[in-house]
Amino acid sequence: MATVTDDRIAADPTAVGPPRSRVARFVEAWPPSVLLALGWIVAMLLIAASVEWIAGYAYTAMDLRARLSPPILFGGTERHLLGTDELGRDVLSRLLYSIRMSLLIAFFGTLIAATLGTFLGILAAHFRGWVEDIVLTMIDFQASMPFLIIALAVLAFFGNSLILFICLMGFHGWERYARISRGLAIAANEQGYAGAVRQLGAPAWRIYGRHVLPNIASTLIVSMTLAFPETILLESGLSFLGLGVQPPLTSLGNMVGYGREYLTRAPWIMLAPSAVIVLTTLSISLVGDWLRDRLDPTLK
Amino acid sequence: MNAPAAPLLQARDLSRSFRVRRSGGMFGHAAVLHAVDGVSFDLTPGRTLGLVGESGCGKTTTARLVLGILTPTGGEVRFEGAPVPAPGTRAWRQLRRRMQMVFQDPLGALDRRIPVGQQVMEPLAIHGAGARGDRRGRALELLDAVGLGASFFARYPHELSGGQRQRIVLARALILDPTLLVCDEPISALDVSIQAQVINLLLDLQAKFGLAYLFISHDLKVVRQISHEVAVMYLGKIVEQGDPDRLLTDPAHPYTQALVSAIPVAAAARRRPRLILKGDPPNPVDRPAGCAFHPRCPAAVDRCRVDTPVLKPLPDGRLAACHVAHGEAGSARLVA
Amino acid sequence: MLRYLSTRLVRALLTICFVVTFAFVILRLSGDPALLILSPDAPPEAIEAFRKSWGLDRPVWEQYVRYFGAIAEGNLGRSMRDGRPALDLVLERVPATLALTIPALILKLVIGIPAGIYAALHRNKLADRMTMLFSVAGFTVPSFVLGLVLVLIFSVNLGWLPSGGQDSWIHGILPVITLGTAGAAVLARFTRSAMLEVLGQPYIRTASAKGLAWHRVVVDHALPNAAIPTVTIVGFMVGSLVAGAVVVESVFSWPGVGRLLVVAVANRDLAVVQTILLFVAATMVCANLTVDMLYGWIDPRLRTRRVAGAG
Repeated sequence: MATVTDDRIAADPTAVGPPRSRVARFVEAWPPSVLLALGWIVAMLLIAASVEWIAGYAYTAMDLRARLSPPILFGGTERHLLGTDELGRDVLSRLLYSIRMSLLIAFFGTLIAATLGTFLGILAAHFRGWVEDIVLTMIDFQASMPFLIIALAVLAFFGNSLILFICLMGFHGWERYARISRGLAIAANEQGYAGAVRQLGAPAWRIYGRHVLPNIASTLIVSMTLAFPETILLESGLSFLGLGVQPPLTSLGNMVGYGREYLTRAPWIMLAPSAVIVLTTLSISLVGDWLRDRLDPTLK
Repeated sequence: MNAPAAPLLQARDLSRSFRVRRSGGMFGHAAVLHAVDGVSFDLTPGRTLGLVGESGCGKTTTARLVLGILTPTGGEVRFEGAPVPAPGTRAWRQLRRRMQMVFQDPLGALDRRIPVGQQVMEPLAIHGAGARGDRRGRALELLDAVGLGASFFARYPHELSGGQRQRIVLARALILDPTLLVCDEPISALDVSIQAQVINLLLDLQAKFGLAYLFISHDLKVVRQISHEVAVMYLGKIVEQGDPDRLLTDPAHPYTQALVSAIPVAAAARRRPRLILKGDPPNPVDRPAGCAFHPRCPAAVDRCRVDTPVLKPLPDGRLAACHVAHGEAGSARLVA
Repeated sequence: MLRYLSTRLVRALLTICFVVTFAFVILRLSGDPALLILSPDAPPEAIEAFRKSWGLDRPVWEQYVRYFGAIAEGNLGRSMRDGRPALDLVLERVPATLALTIPALILKLVIGIPAGIYAALHRNKLADRMTMLFSVAGFTVPSFVLGLVLVLIFSVNLGWLPSGGQDSWIHGILPVITLGTAGAAVLARFTRSAMLEVLGQPYIRTASAKGLAWHRVVVDHALPNAAIPTVTIVGFMVGSLVAGAVVVESVFSWPGVGRLLVVAVANRDLAVVQTILLFVAATMVCANLTVDMLYGWIDPRLRTRRVAGAG
């Protein structure tokens, strides 16, 4: 019993300790894990921006004399730092191009989902009544179906192209933004600043564009950060199954799917992109959780 | 003071009901809540009508009806002789230049992200009033009129005190030169020491701009300071209406008597016996039959249980809705 | 309570209608259903017969009604690969999928919920941090990566376990572990935050302040209340028993519904895809309905809750 009581005291977040040094306060505000994660994200963004200049080879360039060459520390040569695949393509160069592709798809997908969801949420909050009922039904439907199944069905019916694929990613998770923006907009309309501005005679675009959206932006940005890794995972999952990004284009999931065939002979083909997926989603999740705790503790 | 000026605002038999779902029973059932039930009053330019009552008596609904934010389910509101248009329409938005509102919670009514000066200017931008370059100057004028200096222009709402925020809300409401200001409990969220300042400011502004106020409060004492006429509401109806001093010194309706007796008085000699009302205000969904006040009324007689009294003049010109006050109860007034 | 259940039932039916409509719309948008459902090289008279039987020569609204009718009769078309009824193809794959997903669900519950509760009760201790680390990893490691790494270790390097196929229960070990780990992580995180939320409520403080033993506070007050949100996520997991293994079945060449779906999508075998879509929707809706009924049982407020307030 006594230890349990101690637990509860220790769990009290308002407990004040002795004054801490500047280093301790800095570490508290910027935990090392978050700094590392931010560093990794920045590195990924730099790679995505400059891949043409830093990649040693084109992602389709074949070197048939050096097929399935292992990475440099495992008996390979410095010509292919992360080894090559069955066709002699440089794994490192393909990895860099894949990072760009996966980040681009996830970025646009998240952006589309956030725009769509916020728009529908505000629409529901503004009109209420049957418009709101329709939006809520759509939210329920989207939230109750595994998105992977819907995505697979759409891909089966429409075939695949990069644009369609990105749009499809844009339907992933829109319902979360719709829920959030609807709730916040209704609250703002009913007793807050938005009701006051409406009462001043402001038209709807002004109420939402100038007042409601900027006020809920931080919440939406935090949700986007938390949704981004999920979109990366969805994209790489579909590409792994061979139903996402199509060759000759390459993405991280695509590389893993290809490398799976050579799991026994050349595991590096599959391990390199896997590590990048895990580290990237982990980093963004860590930063997202940290952002949420700092900016918007209501979103749990 | 009884010059026959044309009324700025006329409410005629104004009613508003809401559909609600009631608790109780297996399924619950729909019921109708009469928030405002047959309210009529006039307001002439430059004057103040005080609206008093407990929370839930329909004061705020009346305010929203007057402003056209809610559409009445019965009766009508006329502003400057014309009916108030439906909310959200172009005509309704145009009308915002003539009628404005002051809120109970000034912090909630302001956008926390925008400097208050910008917010004071916003109505000008919304209605395209004045040249773009003049708007800032106009906002500074208004800040000055509500007693805040130019240094407040760039501050954010959370940096101001409650009274200062309410002044900002006032400045924003007044920048379009309205003729009617609806004040919904404008001071009840403020410290007592600040309340008097805001009341004085409202009086100054009325004198300066010729504003008419519809002033809503649960506090009879505050309403008396500012109003030319007072209407007491109980469960969606006006039960007594008239000159504030007369109403306070000699309340006719037993409900007004109870409200008056609850006002703290300093001089011991003037202390009156305190009338404590029985029970809570009834649920507006369960309006008692007859006079809605009869279950709590110390003077109620049999007639009050069945016959709803109408609001009509007493001999001194004031209006009251009470069988007893009109001497029609068939027995003497029992109230001390 | 009756009212609560009847609105839930209506909502469930609406969701089914929504899915059918969704399938109808994408089917119509994607081209000539006759050519898509059959195959382009089907004999012309078969295509003609198909058009007649589905009423493709009729106005769109009538087609829509007929589509509902056909689905209600279980007529979901035939697979274009072997011409067998799509529903049969799907149903015969269900046992294989359940053989993976049910043990995985048990694994998730047995690991996830106790871990979440333990972490919440020992907040900020080492055990909590380890649990959270595990759960973050479960979120961020995609199941195909986890599966392949397990294969690399246990099949390729150690040679202990088979890497794919469905010949014996031993073949199921790696896929079940892969599926269960990710789900357990999600569940642990969810349970932990539900518990923490409840433990912060005034009634918990009241209960412990009035001298109730801490374990009684947890068992009598905290757990039942934390169960309410946790049931939702478990319901979602139950609902995805049929379709929850798409990726993992592909990694381990497990002949279940998920693998069938992937192959059908790759071959654009639309009758099969459509059948799986509707089948999954139906199981999800049933699971959600069960969760809603459980709510009514766990949460007494829902039994009597009414919408109050006056506009």
